[in-house]
Amino acid sequence: MRRALITTAAVLLAGVAGCKATPPGKLETGTITFIKHHITIGNKKEKNPLPDTPETRADGKEAFGHYCVACHGMDGQNTGVPFVGNMSPPAPSLVSPQVQSYTDGQLKRILDYGIKPSGMPGSKGILSDDELWSIVTYLRHLPPKGSQGVPEIYTH
Amino acid sequence: MKKKWMLPALLAGIVAALAFSSPAVWAQTAPQRIEVTAKRFSFTPSEITVKKGQPVVLVLKSEDVAHGIRFRELDVNVKVKAGGTSQVEFTPDKTGDFVGHCSVFCGAHHGSMAIRLHVVD
Repeated sequence: MRRALITTAAVLLAGVAGCKATPPGKLETGTITFIKHHITIGNKKEKNPLPDTPETRADGKEAFGHYCVACHGMDGQNTGVPFVGNMSPPAPSLVSPQVQSYTDGQLKRILDYGIKPSGMPGSKGILSDDELWSIVTYLRHLPPKGSQGVPEIYTH
Repeated sequence: MKKKWMLPALLAGIVAALAFSSPAVWAQTAPQRIEVTAKRFSFTPSEITVKKGQPVVLVLKSEDVAHGIRFRELDVNVKVKAGGTSQVEFTPDKTGDFVGHCSVFCGAHHGSMAIRLHVVD
């Protein structure tokens, strides 16, 4: 009995030890993307109340810089994020069709409540509605990859 | 000779104008000074009332870290350094209720740090 228990525990441990964060395949990515876009992430119809002006984009860039940059980089394309290759699921490039095809309302919902069980946290209450909507605007006008340098938190 | 009387006459005119002007006119043009204290994560007072068309001096004091108040719809933004005092002057040009938010990221509940401004006729 004891030997069986130990053997089972050893097999389980070996299984866990074999777990490794690997990039998801096409099927997994496609399935999860479909579920997020059409089932789990609602608020498709809410419109961004802020005007799309250079001032709003600048506000969004500043608000994005508070802590989004820790995972997404200054450019929203993971530039300079040292652990970008170790995240599972990976933080997507925010200029990718996978992200840009969300409506403004869906992006706001993601910023408010995050995406569980991924690492994306919600920011409702941490940032104001104004700031969150301005980030949505900024996401529609992200700068070229690498153009903003490395987030300051990773430079020292 | 004429020049001799010109200055006293001018001064007398100014004094008379000031003496006969209505206190209501003074009240409308004199800036209303409002002091607000910021401390993570609230403003005191949390609601203020001002008059449309009357200049306002909004004084912001910080009791801890850097903060700010921004009324987006009125294009008003004042920022204050940690422990400091800062002020902004503006004249509200429309009535209504406006929500101002902290405009300097100050921590975990920064997004819920708000102050309500009532602009009345």
